[in-house]
This record gives sequence, structure tokens and C-alpha cells, in this order.
Amino acid sequence: MDTKKENESKIEAKDGRISYGNLLFYYIENNSSFRIEELMGYDALILDARDHDFTRLIIKRIRTHYNPEFYLKPVFLLNVKPTKDPLINHLHDGIIYSFDQVPELANIVRQIFLLTTQLDYNLPNSFQAQTMKKVFNFMHTRETKTLRPHIDVNSIVGYTYPELSVSFDDREEAQTLDILEWAEKEGLIWPDFHERIYLCNNCSSGFLSYREVCPHCQSSNAKSEDLVHHFPCAYIGPISDFRNPVDNTLSCPKCSKTLRHIGVDYDKPSVINHCNNCDNNFQDFYVKAKCLSCEQDIEVQYLIPKTIYLFKLTKKGRSAAVNGLFTASQEVEDIFGTIRPEVMKVMLHYEVERMRKNSALKSSVAVFHLENIYELYNRIGAKSRKNLIIELMNLVRENIRPSDYIGLESAATFYVSMIDTDPAAAAATANNIERSMQTAIHKNFSAFEASIRHHIEPLQIGTPVDAQLQLLAKELFN
Amino acid sequence: MHFLDDFYAYVTSIDLWKFVRIFWFFVFFEFLRFFVLDFLTVSLWWLTRRFRKDRTRRARQELFEQQPLISIIVPGKNEGQHIFRLALSLKEQTYTNYELIIIDDGSDDQTPAICASLKRNGFINLYLRNDVRGGKASAANLGLRYARGKFVVHLDADCSYDRDALENIIIPFFYDIRVGAVGGNVTVRNYKHSLCATLQAVEYFDTISVGRIATSELGIYRVISGAFGAFRREALTRVGGWDIGPGLDGDITVKVRKLGYKIRFEPNAICKTSVPVTFRKLIRQRLRWDKSLIRFRLRKHRDVFYPNETFRWSNFISFVEITYNLVLNIKWYVYIADMVVNFASYIPFILMTNILLYTCSNVVKYLMFSLFRTKRNEPIGYFLPYLPVMVIYFGYYLRIIRSVAYIQELLFKASYKDPWNPQKTSRHAKALKI
Repeated sequence: MDTKKENESKIEAKDGRISYGNLLFYYIENNSSFRIEELMGYDALILDARDHDFTRLIIKRIRTHYNPEFYLKPVFLLNVKPTKDPLINHLHDGIIYSFDQVPELANIVRQIFLLTTQLDYNLPNSFQAQTMKKVFNFMHTRETKTLRPHIDVNSIVGYTYPELSVSFDDREEAQTLDILEWAEKEGLIWPDFHERIYLCNNCSSGFLSYREVCPHCQSSNAKSEDLVHHFPCAYIGPISDFRNPVDNTLSCPKCSKTLRHIGVDYDKPSVINHCNNCDNNFQDFYVKAKCLSCEQDIEVQYLIPKTIYLFKLTKKGRSAAVNGLFTASQEVEDIFGTIRPEVMKVMLHYEVERMRKNSALKSSVAVFHLENIYELYNRIGAKSRKNLIIELMNLVRENIRPSDYIGLESAATFYVSMIDTDPAAAAATANNIERSMQTAIHKNFSAFEASIRHHIEPLQIGTPVDAQLQLLAKELFN
Repeated sequence: MHFLDDFYAYVTSIDLWKFVRIFWFFVFFEFLRFFVLDFLTVSLWWLTRRFRKDRTRRARQELFEQQPLISIIVPGKNEGQHIFRLALSLKEQTYTNYELIIIDDGSDDQTPAICASLKRNGFINLYLRNDVRGGKASAANLGLRYARGKFVVHLDADCSYDRDALENIIIPFFYDIRVGAVGGNVTVRNYKHSLCATLQAVEYFDTISVGRIATSELGIYRVISGAFGAFRREALTRVGGWDIGPGLDGDITVKVRKLGYKIRFEPNAICKTSVPVTFRKLIRQRLRWDKSLIRFRLRKHRDVFYPNETFRWSNFISFVEITYNLVLNIKWYVYIADMVVNFASYIPFILMTNILLYTCSNVVKYLMFSLFRTKRNEPIGYFLPYLPVMVIYFGYYLRIIRSVAYIQELLFKASYKDPWNPQKTSRHAKALKI
């Protein structure tokens, strides 16, 4: 025990490595170069957080990584300055002011490790589910049960859920609201009202400038004046009609009497606005919202209302991290040239029946999985995601025969039937598909290296199609 | 039967001298002024209609060539329920270059919401609201302040208008540059609602439609109805708009007249209004109207009688004509006294004869004037059975109300206490004697 204590009390700092006991911390100095892969051999990260932007960048790179080895890594901040950025404030695991405090971090790191071992690492079958699974994993290891919204000027909607929003670009924050809505529908989280916000109907920005504008020309260049009613002669007009420019007294333009006492000889029953742009007179302004992001001028009734909730994890949500996340929902809508997996099963069943009648026939089925494609999806946003899937499916179709069909399981996994094709020929076709997809992705997203896996099995006559597809997936993911 | 025999004997025993002596009130004051004079004037107007046709055609052509903007101002409180129908009837107008300005004088019902919606949907051009009620004059003045048209048409929200009413009310301005204001022909929309409304319909036909044709032709037309009146904006601006009411319709007409402008009545500019349907409500309305007659004619504008630099004979006669009503009312009591003192034993016969005389003259007048009507969209026969009742309505009911109003105004200046106008302004009007 004594030796262990002695070992633990010794802090060694060398070449950006800090060791304490059996724990190894990676230390990143302010503005130094950093490759995330270097984190692999370390238990935790200590980040010199003097520079806000640098700190934000590093935290975002770590927490957005698709690999749990990285995104769950304990991160501690050194020399942190006060900031309102929720991504910094809520995605670190502790703050220290000198390396002398490193021993205090050991228990935190160990606790996170312990909880990390309880996690289930199977990937769910949809984008939303995979994203939420990441959030649940993080929350489980940090022992939090609420997804709390924070005001954030960096987020396009003005609010951010750091654990989830970190996976998206600031401009894609509206997507987080959609995913949370999905998670709520799946019964994973329970909403508790926090705030009501309105978003631009063009770009979903919450940064809106509400302006009172002329109802005629929509200009905000207007002047407001009190209307003055002079009781004795019933004259009524804007106060400028009454104002004497010489001595600034008020006198009636109709009867020339001086106005003396409000409520006695005159009152101000209303106001009038004059538009300096179009000379229109009106009493009620129109309220319009100008989007500060896309500059669109929107009538307030056309803004998109969204409710910001504080979400609590349900029992199902809490167990998702440990027991895996199973959802029935489909993340991809119909993509031209593909069929749904359940339709594919029926068609494969017909193929099996055909093979049963003619034993000389040999057909195969392949499964493809784009392992890190969600990393790219996160980066390019929802609209481009769909376009990318369409493009990839077109590539697959170019490599297969017209009689073959593609069953889209998720945005990352799909099956391809290869009718009248033996496994050897099917393997060649699958390699071509994999290669052309990799080339296309690399051509369009040079910084991204797609990791694609596939597996092929011959169709069996004696085994149900369901079981064959399950086996196929199992072989691929093992 | 015995009474009828006696009555017949009495009537047949009257010679001309006796007839004039006993029925002098009818002969000299009612028959000459309201039958003979009206008949002669309206007949002349009717006979000269061919000559006016060309003038009207030219004026209409000029109107449509110039297409001047007309500002329609509608002041009122809690009139939201009527505004949509009004706006719809205006949308149907043959003359379309107008702006509709609604002035909400402190409504506390759904008027703001209704008007805001109508404005959004393009039925109203300008909706102005005073959160605090200031009275009809100030509301109308607010509309005038923001009116942009060359002509201003003042409407009541609960009225509706013939399709060519707007066009017809503007045409007289193109007859003569000196025409400063034109009154529309106000008819009763709800004449079938009750006896009270039916009697008013006959009265409107007689005194407003026919009576105003006559006074207009004689150049002494005196009240442009607030329900439908058109003004040159320049004339309104020069007189400073409307002054505190009640009775501001007559007041503004006099003010415009005093500037030397001509005032015309246009019988073809038809407006339909809803009149009070109970005699109790009618009493309130008529007390207000009759009190304002004293207040404005005898008090505020008495200078019309003075031979000063602004003296005009047409104004003088117009006022004499109005004063005639007042004198007539007093004379009626003199007549009653004369009958009671000198012919006490014949009073039932005299009363019967009077009713017969008035009924006969009403029927003849009604039938003759019906022939002159420019628009025949009302059934003439419908009103005939009611004409005998008009004797009671005109001769007694309205006369008594008028007497009460005159006394209240002459002795107590009651019009300043009328809740129709807010006290905060009436107080000042009283102090300024206007």
C-alpha cells in the first residue's frame, strides 16, 4: 500500500506527457499542433485553455469523434478563463490551475473508465439513433441524466445542448432540435418546458431582429408623434401641428389658443406614425423579423416556433448506453433505385424459391457498411447527406446488373442482391463497388477517408432469408 | 252618426272668410310654405330637368377625366359591426378613386379588431383610433387632417349607398367651382321595421328628399346630412373642420356657406340609413336635433342676420327659413289658444277639419312629388295608408318634442349637457358660447 501511495504521489511531466501513478495524461499547450490519433495511448487530456478558440476547437474535435475511445476521453482544462461558451463549460471533466492538482483528477478518470466498461458499443441502425447513442454514452460516463439547454451565441438557434450539439456545426443546430424531437418520440427522453423560440423560416436561425415597420412599404424609417386633441375647437392632429417653432409652446392651429393643461383643455388620445420612406400615415406598425443570418425579412406569423425543453433521460434512455439502442424508426426515406429491407427480404425469398426449383442456380447477397460515414454526414448537414446517399446508390447501381436490387438499411448500411452470381464473381463486383465509393468520396471530400467494409454470402436454399441476412450482418460487424 | 251629421253641417256652413279665420294657421303658414312653395319649386326643378341633363353629362365626363381622389371619412364609436357592410357597398361604387378613412372614436367593443382585419384585407385605406373618446367633431377632424383627396365625403358607418352614389354626389362640384358642399339624399332603409320607422320614411321623403330639392333650388339649403355629405377639402380646411356638436352637420354647412360657397343637394346620390324604430328613441334623437337648431342658428351663427361685411341674402333667407320653424312652432300654440278662446264649442269639429285638411294636402303632395322622384325603388302605395297618421306625427308628436327642445335649449342650454358629446369638450363649447 505504501509503495502504491508513493508511486501515485509522484507527478512526472515530460514532452507533453504527464504521468501520475499508472495514469498517463496528454498535455496540450496553448496553440500547439495536435493530432487526435496521438490521444490513443493516453488516459486523459489536460488542455491549456488560455485561448478560448483553441480550447473550443480541441474540445470539439475530441467530442465529435465517432470513436468512443476519443469522444469519451476525460478532458481537463488548465488556466481556463471565464467563458460563456457552453461547449467549453459543459464538455470538460474538471478544471485545474497547476499540475499539482493532477492527483485530484485520478479518481475522476478512474470513475469514467469504470463506467466506460459498462457501455454497449453496438451501433444502432440510424443516424439519429447513432447520434443519440453517443450522447447517452457520454452522459452515462459523466453520470448526468439531463440534457440541459444553454444560451449560446455561437449556435444558430441561440440555444445549445452541448452533449449533442457538439456533433454538429453551429449552423446545423436546428438539426439537434429535430433529433431531440425524434428521441422524445422514441421515449428516450422526457421534455420539461424551458423556453419558446422562433426561428427563421429560411435558415432556421434564432438571431432575429424584430423591427416595427411601415405596413405599406415595410421601411423602419418612421417617426412617431402624439396626437393632440384641442377640446374647445375639436381640432386634432399630430403635436407638430401645435408646436410653435419660435418658443416651443403649443398653440392650436385652428383657433390659435395656447394649450395650457393636459386633461383640461387638451389631451393626447393616441399616437400617429409617419413613414419617412413612403409618406404613409398609420397608427399600428407591422412587426417584422429580420434574420441576422440570411437577411431575410419575415412576417412574424411565418416564423417557425420551436420549444426548447430541458430533457430528462427516461428509463429507456438511461439503459440505452449500457444495453444498446434499438429503435424501429427508419432514418432514410425512399431513395430512387433502392428498396426497403423488408421488401428485399420478400424478393430474396422468391429468389430462394427459384433456386429451389433449379439447383444449378447460384445467387449471392452482399452487405456494405460505411463505418465512419456519419462523421462526414455531421459535417455536411442534412440536405447534403441525402444527396450523398443518392450519389452513392447511383454508383452501386452502375456496378450491378439491372436485375439486382439494393436494400437500404440505413444511411450507412445497405444490402445488394447478386442474382445468378456465384460468390467469387460477387466478390469482384463488391470490390468494385467499394472502390468506386471510396474514390467518389475522396474526390468530393478530400480531407475525409471513408472506411468501407463489405461481406458476401451465397444464398442458401435451406435457411430462412431473415436468418441469412442476420448472419451476413453478424459476419460483417465481427 | 249624430257627430258626423253635426260635423257635416259645420263644414258646409263655413264660408271662405270663416275658413281663413278659423284655419289661418294651415292656410298662411303650412299650406303656403310647405305645399305651394315646395310644389312650385319642385315643379320648376322637374320641368327644367332636360336643361340640366347636358350639364350633368359634361360634369360627369369631367369627373371621370380628372379622376380626383375622394377621401371618405367615417367617424364613429363602436361601429365595427357596420363597417364591413359599408366597405362592401363602397367597393361596389362606380367611382373607384377613393380612400376610405375610418376614425374610431374610443370604441370599447370589437371595432379595432374588425377594422384592423378589414385594413389588412384592403377594404380600408387608413384606420385611425383615438383611445380616448373625443366626440364626433374631433374624430371627423382627425380624418380630415389625414385626408389626401380633393373632395371629402363624410359618411355614417351604419349607412349604405347606391352604386352610383359617390359619383353623383361629386358631380355637382363640376357644375360650378363655387360649389363648396353637396348633400346626399338620405332615405330610410328600415321603413318596414315599425310604425315609427315608416312615419319617418314618409317624413324623410317629404322634408329631406323633396324639401331639400326645393331649398337647394332656392339657394337656401341649410343642413348637409352627416350621413352623406361631400365637401371640397379646401373649404373644410378653410373653416377649420367641424366644431363641437351636437348639430355639427348644420354648423359646418353654415360655416362653408359663410365663406361664400354654394351648397347643393343631389337627389340622385342615394344613401340608406336606419332610423330609430321606437318613439322613445326617436324622442332622444329629435330633442338633440332641435336643440342644436337653437344653439347654432340663434346663438352661434346669429351674425348671419347682421348687415356686416360677410352678409349674404341667401344666408339670411336660409336662416329666416329656419327661424320660421321656430316661429311656426310658437304660432301653433297661439293658434291653439285662439281656438280655445274664440271657438271653444267647435273645437272637435275644428280638430277633425284640420286632420282632414292636412291629410288631403299630404296625400296630394305625396302623390305629386312621387311623380318627381328620380329613383323609383320604393313602393309608393306602401306609404299611402300611413298618411293620415302623419298629421298626428307631424302636427302633434314632433311639434311637442320640438317645443320641449326649444324650451330646454333657450332656457337651460341643455345641448351642452347632451351625453352625445363628451363633457370635457361641451364644457369648453359652453364657455365659448359656440
